Amino acid sequence: MRLVALAARVRLGWRLSGSGPELRPGRGHWTAAGRSRSPREADTPVFQYVGERAARADRIFVWGFSFSGALGVPTFVLPGAGPEPRAGSRPRRRIQPVPYRLELDQKISSAACGYGFTLLSSKTKDVTKVWGMGLNKDSQLGFHRSRKDTIFSMGNNSYGQCGRNVVEDEIYSESHRVTRLQDFEGQVVQVVCGQDHSLFLTDKGEVYSCGWGADGQTGLGHYNITSVPTKLGGDLAGVHVVQLATYGDCCLAVSAEGGLFGWGNSEYLQLASVTDSTQVNVPRCLPFSGVGRVKQAACGGTGCAVLNGEGHVFVWGYGILGKGPNLVETALPEMIPPTLFGLTEFNPEVQVSLIRCGLSHFAALTSDDARGARGCGVWCGSHGDSGQVVHLMLLPDRLEPGPGLRATWTAQQGVRGDRGPS
Amino acid sequence: MGSRRLALARLHGLFAVYKPSGLKWKHLRDTVELQLLKGVNAGKPPAPEQRVRFLLGPMEGSEEKALTLTATSVPSLTNHPLVCGPAFTSLKVGVGHRLDAQASGVLVLGVGHGRSLLTDMYNAHLTKDYTVRGLLGKATDDFCEDGRLVEKSTYDHVTREKLDRILALIQGSHQKALVMYSNLDLQTQEAYDMAVRGLIRPMNKSPMLITGIRCLHFAPPEFLLEVQCMHETQKQLRKLVHEIGLELKTTAVCSQVRRTRDGFFTLDDALLRTQWDMHSIQNAIQATAPRVAVELEKSLRPGLGTPAAPQP
Repeated sequence: MRLVALAARVRLGWRLSGSGPELRPGRGHWTAAGRSRSPREADTPVFQYVGERAARADRIFVWGFSFSGALGVPTFVLPGAGPEPRAGSRPRRRIQPVPYRLELDQKISSAACGYGFTLLSSKTKDVTKVWGMGLNKDSQLGFHRSRKDTIFSMGNNSYGQCGRNVVEDEIYSESHRVTRLQDFEGQVVQVVCGQDHSLFLTDKGEVYSCGWGADGQTGLGHYNITSVPTKLGGDLAGVHVVQLATYGDCCLAVSAEGGLFGWGNSEYLQLASVTDSTQVNVPRCLPFSGVGRVKQAACGGTGCAVLNGEGHVFVWGYGILGKGPNLVETALPEMIPPTLFGLTEFNPEVQVSLIRCGLSHFAALTSDDARGARGCGVWCGSHGDSGQVVHLMLLPDRLEPGPGLRATWTAQQGVRGDRGPS
Repeated sequence: MGSRRLALARLHGLFAVYKPSGLKWKHLRDTVELQLLKGVNAGKPPAPEQRVRFLLGPMEGSEEKALTLTATSVPSLTNHPLVCGPAFTSLKVGVGHRLDAQASGVLVLGVGHGRSLLTDMYNAHLTKDYTVRGLLGKATDDFCEDGRLVEKSTYDHVTREKLDRILALIQGSHQKALVMYSNLDLQTQEAYDMAVRGLIRPMNKSPMLITGIRCLHFAPPEFLLEVQCMHETQKQLRKLVHEIGLELKTTAVCSQVRRTRDGFFTLDDALLRTQWDMHSIQNAIQATAPRVAVELEKSLRPGLGTPAAPQP
């Protein structure tokens, strides 16, 4: 009896509370369901997830071929190195197909990719540190401090590309030798490294080169090795150069007036517009009339690309150039339709702002002047290699970490994107 | 015969109405059907048939008072509206891409033979334009402003740049999905040509895909987005606003979803509530018929013939 009464009271209690909104008398009048019981909007607490002046941290993303360790994530190469238990039984990751965030304590100011290795630089208050990851067969990595305005070189010097005299039978692995290069007139503002040579650009607009010259990529008028950085002449004499580009054995230079100069290997029709010879050892002016004012140049293994003042990209050379499977080689620059970079009637102001080349792929960064947002397009050709970049596609395509990408650097088998502050 | 049949003959095709918010699409369709029926039934009825009846009546010009049968032709009452009701009791009106009760905007309807054009429009997989209004600082359970409040948060850290960046991120990821769901072999020249013309999009079922999104107006806590999408529902658009709020590390609800273009029907073609009568609808059908024919023929052409959204 008592149990029954208790059960009945409990059931009544449940029913009373369960039908609250409809039957509760409230303040003596019926109010709409769902409104009377819920607390007033003004009384609910307000959460703050982010402060008013929160700033975005810079991030580094890596993707590509990871067996060489160039991506900087140890668990890709040695799964046993991870903190999780039983991670060693997992197979090592060969390709990282989508951008992966690299977590570092330091703020990275710039990055560069080589063949199987990566170098990052971070600026602290008085020194700039260089961090390296990847293949170290020729001591191309090494912890080293540098002050501003000085150039140091390390790595394989069999062709003198480090700027010092070639020593016969020198062993390059495990070498701590780092050379400081000082024989330039003026400050060096840009250094670009090709396969076996190096080019330096000073603030006066002069170009110096050293290294292997069998294809004429040193541009000094001969096909020999140069061990000491030497100034270039030819069509570049008296021209103020603002940007250099090289990756394989062909070199391009952009002048302040928007002109384009090239020298080096021309087996893939990179310089075929001005000469029929396959090796050009003196810088020659490339007068492309349809391109307009050249803002940036990028040179890959077999193809070249330039960016003009209006944000259009022109490609020429050999290989997969980005204009469909039918265009395999061309000697004259062809423009890539801006619709492939996201230009629609919805976004009419999309322009390409940065281009880079890897050995057989290109990357472009777009920027929308009206919105300030940026996207990244990567297109590449595979000459048998797989998984070089996100998509083995002929068409420039947007990647996910699109907005806010400040710069991308490409390597033969890996790509890096660095997210800027905005 | 008569004006009724003629009126009915002109009622075959597609037209667009402006659906106000708060009205269910089914009620709108029923209302339009009723108004069309009113218009058709109000037309002049055909002349009634005559039949010969032998009526009993007094013979004229005779002095006899006897009733005789005379043959007279009298109208037949079998088709009289007071006998058998209005001539037309139902019209077949179909609805294109639906809008839910709280959304407003362009709604395409098809009458009679125009309903097969509705199927063609669906198979053309054209994009639609929406303007979506959002409100920062609140989160509700159904992503609408009047739903049950879940959370409130601050939004003073949100700037126009951050919002633009989030929108570019959304557009970029949907761009990838567009290419993926279109099932194209990208290594072919046709795929390259389609990409150059901006025509890559899925031609069969796919989840909601956004082909373009941008912010038209930003005045915190309110912001106005323009979204160009396909295979969407309005609830998914409200969820998109909610997710934009989450990406901005705050919360957001959607206060208005308005469709400004459905395929090739724009706001200019949409009929207002006062224009839902037979004559305006007939005029609208005639005005849009050539454009509809051209666009559908373009879109059903195989291969490269799929148009992107026409210029708004």
